[in-house]
Amino acid sequence: MLEMPGRNKRRWRSPKREAPDESQVLRDKFFYFRILVLFLFGILTLQLMRMQVFHGEAYEQRAESNRLRIVPLMPSRGLVFDRNSVPLVINAPHFAAGIVAADFPEDKEAAMLPILERLLNVPAAEIAAKVDEKRDSNDPFTPLIVKSGLDTETAFTLRQMQSELPGVKVIVQEARQYTAGPLMAHILGSVGMVTKEEYEDEGLKNEGYAMNDRVGKTGVELTYESQLRGEPGRSEVEVDAAGREIQTMRSEAATPGSGVVLSLDLDLQSKTAEFLQAGMGASSLAVAIVMKVDTGELLSMVSLPFYDNNALADITNEQLQALLDSPGKPLVNHAISDTYAPGSIFKQITGTSALQEGIANAGTTITSYGYITVKNEYDPSISYIFRDWAAHGTMDFYAGVALSSDVYFYYLAGGYYENGREVFHGMGEQKLAEFCREYGLGARTGVDLPGEADGIVPDPAWKEAQVGEPWTIGDTYNFAIGQGYVTVTPLQMAVVTSALANGGYVMAPRVVRDIVDPIGKVVTPFQSVVTRQLPISDDNLEVMRQGMRQAVSWARGTATQAAVDGVAVAGKTGTAEFGPDLGGGHYAEHGWFAGFAPADNPEVAIVVFVERGNGARDAAPIAGKILDYYFHRQ
Amino acid sequence: MSTVKTGGYFRSFDYLLLLTSLALVAYGIILIYSGSLGSYGSSSKALADPVARQIIFAVIGVTVMLLISRIDYRILGYTAPVLYALAIGSLLFVLVFASETYGSRRWIEVAGTQVQPSELTKLVLIIVLAKYFTDRQERMTSLAPFATSLAITLLPMLLVFIEPDLGSAVILLAIWFAMVIVAGARSSHVLGLVTMGLVALPFALIGMINDYQRERIATFIDPEKDPLGSGFNTLQAEISIGSGRIFGKGLTHGTQTQLEYLRTQTTDYVFSVLGEELGFVGAMVLFALFVLLLMRGLRAASSSRDPFGRLMAVGIVTYILFQVFINIGVNIRLLPVTGIPLPFISQGGSSLVSLFVAMGILQSVRIHHPPPEWR
Repeated sequence: MLEMPGRNKRRWRSPKREAPDESQVLRDKFFYFRILVLFLFGILTLQLMRMQVFHGEAYEQRAESNRLRIVPLMPSRGLVFDRNSVPLVINAPHFAAGIVAADFPEDKEAAMLPILERLLNVPAAEIAAKVDEKRDSNDPFTPLIVKSGLDTETAFTLRQMQSELPGVKVIVQEARQYTAGPLMAHILGSVGMVTKEEYEDEGLKNEGYAMNDRVGKTGVELTYESQLRGEPGRSEVEVDAAGREIQTMRSEAATPGSGVVLSLDLDLQSKTAEFLQAGMGASSLAVAIVMKVDTGELLSMVSLPFYDNNALADITNEQLQALLDSPGKPLVNHAISDTYAPGSIFKQITGTSALQEGIANAGTTITSYGYITVKNEYDPSISYIFRDWAAHGTMDFYAGVALSSDVYFYYLAGGYYENGREVFHGMGEQKLAEFCREYGLGARTGVDLPGEADGIVPDPAWKEAQVGEPWTIGDTYNFAIGQGYVTVTPLQMAVVTSALANGGYVMAPRVVRDIVDPIGKVVTPFQSVVTRQLPISDDNLEVMRQGMRQAVSWARGTATQAAVDGVAVAGKTGTAEFGPDLGGGHYAEHGWFAGFAPADNPEVAIVVFVERGNGARDAAPIAGKILDYYFHRQ
Repeated sequence: MSTVKTGGYFRSFDYLLLLTSLALVAYGIILIYSGSLGSYGSSSKALADPVARQIIFAVIGVTVMLLISRIDYRILGYTAPVLYALAIGSLLFVLVFASETYGSRRWIEVAGTQVQPSELTKLVLIIVLAKYFTDRQERMTSLAPFATSLAITLLPMLLVFIEPDLGSAVILLAIWFAMVIVAGARSSHVLGLVTMGLVALPFALIGMINDYQRERIATFIDPEKDPLGSGFNTLQAEISIGSGRIFGKGLTHGTQTQLEYLRTQTTDYVFSVLGEELGFVGAMVLFALFVLLLMRGLRAASSSRDPFGRLMAVGIVTYILFQVFINIGVNIRLLPVTGIPLPFISQGGSSLVSLFVAMGILQSVRIHHPPPEWR
């Protein structure tokens, strides 16, 4: 190894003569190698600079939105009380299983879905489909409720399995529990999950609702949604990659919803339901309404059959359909959403209108032979018979009302012709229709409940448009006694009766009295709303009130069954024919009673309706029992 | 040459190389500590487990390095055929018996720790090729040693590729390339092969790459397409590093790291922890350490007069350079995802011990065949 450098060099030389100096070649190679090292680190440095120096801020924002999540804090929904502060609903804690799609790892789905299926009893495929949809949505962080109403044990198991089921959460919700159950279901209604349609098309999105929120669907829950809901708060939470909440960064408390005090009296409501149920017999549906005549406050409003709004929260489609199809349509509040022929309780309108129009006065006498005949306007050889329910003989106005003579009211509305000569001048269908509208028929009463029906006030133009036939005198006669085309809701008749009783004020009925704050202080006190004042003098209304008093108090009166010991009840029955001719001029009948008490200083109006019932036999006694209870309970 | 004077040993020992590698390991341990806080919940547990294990492996590694540095590296040449057979055998063993993790089979259990044969194969290939080229020094310009050495490389490459571990396959190829060039292969051979490779590449991409790799490449091109699934890691690593900005969020204060948006944050994605918590500045410090280490390695190579030692040093430098480039390239989304650990930094015993073996060889090359001006 101690050779001379020169010789050594020669020995290492490659055989190729022209080849450059070998050590120089090696030096060049290592030079390029060093360049390569610097070059590769240069590339890395440039990319790092691009990411950290130039785009750092954008990445920082993405990191922030990774870890910070806005969690809405749901306010406690306002409570509902009856007029005596009896609570009608409580917010019960309730567990639901939710999945945060963003935190639900797709690669572990195969292992997690069967566990969830077993625990929740929801098909794995259904969960997978929902999660997939949510993942692709622009909001994968709001928990998807897979199943609500978990029992405590399942909720506990789910919580314990948190580490095996990332993204699955037990969500504590407040569920409405209606303590009075079916009794108040039609009034209170129910809440339910916001639907896609409500969220997107009906603008709940813009009012700060989330897809998982519950919103009033029917009844007071719907009409007073904005007061009951409260103001949601929000908290900014730091979450880790598995969606676990690490710490709360900021939070803004929710404002609980306001409470609502109903005008309804739970005790009276319960008795009303009891008497109605007992008195309706085999009828499939019945209604009773008690309303304060001077304020429009509804004290009780019962529509039978009932349904249980507690059961609606987690109802399946099949169960819902069964409920919709069951006899008497329990989901429908027949007091406001269904219309019926009013029958003889319409005579109050015909009568007061005729008095005001000067067609008749208290002493106007008309004789009923049990029917009148009318010749066909185009073919005199045909004549029709319009029957009274009995041959009452000669009657003044009071007797006409008390006996509920059809002939008396045929005369008032349509007049009477003998051999083409007018022997009694009637007010005509146009005038009657006008008064109907003054009383509020043909339009919603404005009650603070959703789903009100309008009813029909017919006139020649209406008939031409709807039936396509010209109006006849027969139509006027039918109209006069609340038959034919005229239809009303029971609540409309309660408003009519109140107006008669209170001196002509058509009141907007109300189920809610006051809005109160969470500690019960009144925020918005009750204010009664007068929709309209009747263009009928109180003297004329007084004549009708007297007639109605006699109907109850006079032995021959039709409404004697509604009499109450110690209280002067005034009222009128009605038995309305409806549907097709059952043969021999017999029709199915609805029974009505509309009245008020005390007769001399009216406090409450009452309307009772029994489908396929009789006014005098069915409706009047029910009304009597309710009024008896109302005036004599201690 | 067969015996070394003690004075010579200490004089020739490259202390800067040792210090640089120790600095890298220490840097890595700090990052592993921070990266494992989230998974272990408390700092004491994080210290107890991954950090302690890494320290133990570092101690073992340094010991092995010191031992190897004392041995004349040329002994390794004689073991080359045996090492090669062992490497091929273990790669086959992995393919047949090992179970899949993250969609590939790379690991075998040896005495309770996981060993990755593909890591050891890289070192073995370096020794085998160095020996092969040294023995054929006079004939390096002919085609035969060029082709045969390529075949020697292709066999383990293929086995690694099947695992599948595309990154390691690329590194094996890079090692061969660097070594065959330094060994004196004809440039026409090298250029011819590169041309052939470029022509064949599109066909190889279509034909050889399986679904696993195709998905990785699709994810690389557009991770936003499946941000919660296959694109998650790529995207979160990118967000972590970018959000670190110039100075970082501070050690143990990276939200991405600590809240576990970053996965495998102590191994393949340890660089993202650094990027997030220590920022661009922290990354530059790391780069400086790596460049220093590689330059010292190249110095050992270029100053060695012995072709065997020189070739091994070149192989080792190439091995570390490409490991670093591929790992960081994946982290910063320059390259598609492939599981290559970051040398000295990533948590993992077999990688760390292999690297210290490599460091020992470099030291031995310097000590046992010092540059002529020192004699």
